[in-house]
Amino acid sequence: MGEKGSARELFDTFFGKAWPMWVGAILLAIGNTWLFLIKHPWGGTGSYVNWGQHIYQGLGVIFKDVTPISKSPIATMNLLVVLGAFCASLLAREFALRIPPAGELSKGLIGGALMGIGATIGAGCTIGGFFSGWSALSGGAIILVIGFTIGIIFALRYLFWEMEKFPKLSSGGKSFLSGVGKKGVWQPWLGIIVLLVLIIYNCLRFKESNVMTWFAVLGIWFGIVCQRSRFCITRALREPFMTGESTAPVGLMAGLLIGIFGFTIIKYMGISAYTPMAACELAMTWIYPNFWVRGLVGGFIFGIGMTVAGGCAIGTLWRAGEGQVKLWLAAIGYMLMAPISKKYIVPGFKSLPEWAQKKVFLPDVLGSYVSAIVIFLVIIALWYLFVKWNEKTGKFSAV
Amino acid sequence: MAEVNQTVDCKGLSCPMPILKLAKGIKTLEVGQVLELLATDPGSKPDVPAWCEKTGNELIEATEEEGVYKYYIRRVK
Repeated sequence: MGEKGSARELFDTFFGKAWPMWVGAILLAIGNTWLFLIKHPWGGTGSYVNWGQHIYQGLGVIFKDVTPISKSPIATMNLLVVLGAFCASLLAREFALRIPPAGELSKGLIGGALMGIGATIGAGCTIGGFFSGWSALSGGAIILVIGFTIGIIFALRYLFWEMEKFPKLSSGGKSFLSGVGKKGVWQPWLGIIVLLVLIIYNCLRFKESNVMTWFAVLGIWFGIVCQRSRFCITRALREPFMTGESTAPVGLMAGLLIGIFGFTIIKYMGISAYTPMAACELAMTWIYPNFWVRGLVGGFIFGIGMTVAGGCAIGTLWRAGEGQVKLWLAAIGYMLMAPISKKYIVPGFKSLPEWAQKKVFLPDVLGSYVSAIVIFLVIIALWYLFVKWNEKTGKFSAV
Repeated sequence: MAEVNQTVDCKGLSCPMPILKLAKGIKTLEVGQVLELLATDPGSKPDVPAWCEKTGNELIEATEEEGVYKYYIRRVK
């Protein structure tokens, strides 16, 4: 094989076909541990709240003096997740505007709005609340996932009902495609140019701040990883109740195991790279008051939203980057509702008694890190056995 | 190419609709008949073969034409 052939083979390894989800989950968990070491772990909702506040500020209503996106590590990072995914889809010649019918577009908007409400009530989405929350050994994060699962089962029933009764809402055919297939030879070239511009621009822009540079560069990287591995927590939680397939849940479990391992080292040893923190403050990082009523209610609403929208906080962003217009609407719904819910709905939940909204850091409650880790390992083992058993028997799968 | 008995058009639709429509569509066919699925979601590239393997239906062919992914699936059971 010539040099050109070898280069082609290398390129195709990354951009020729989708990476397995477990590869994506592990890479994201390693990156997430690195983020935590730098400042704080990955999340989704904080960025939507910030972006949404900017929209309202632009319209001159409700919010003012909003933190600039360039001063918020997470708002900057997740914006770059969209652009990183855009680059990855170009490099893989998968970028196209995919426009579904109006029924699907409204489901995107409503699903996004529900996610905005659910994530603010539950103090966490699938990324900050779950992917990072489990890694942070949060008790509320377990409750949140119970809420997500109930919401998913509920929303799947709705989707089946809708397909039977109102098939036109989700009829296909209305798609506008731009330069994919053989006509798409320009895509990888544009992808390389945009990628280089993004990296250079952000490194120069944030040269005064190591933290912002890391969040920006890792945002681009996370966007690429998510798009290539089609990293989707909605899918991982939904699949046992839909097709019964186990690759997505098992992939997610691989990432969670790495995350728990990485975060525990940081918390246990009290390590922080650029942002000095007291050990107790570090231990309580990403532990939110969602044990248990807020986590359950918020998780349930979020679970419905992400199933109807077809993507969670991050699944929405990288799909938006590859041109899926339904997820653009989901992102808009999320941005518009998250700040409103935080300002007007969440205070109602904050008036609940203390037992309904505890911050539970499992090592504190159980007395040691070892017991907390054992609890998570047992949960993951049981979840694994369930998805594998269900894959064989199809007992809980609807299709 | 085998004769197509039914076409399910999922162009423009995103995950999970193509798989839900495929699962619904295949149930309306007789065993041995072929369903053509048209999709534009890149997620269908790993999802459709995985669904066929899981459900035991036969993926006869998967092609791409101008950004539209076409799958031909024979109902086996």
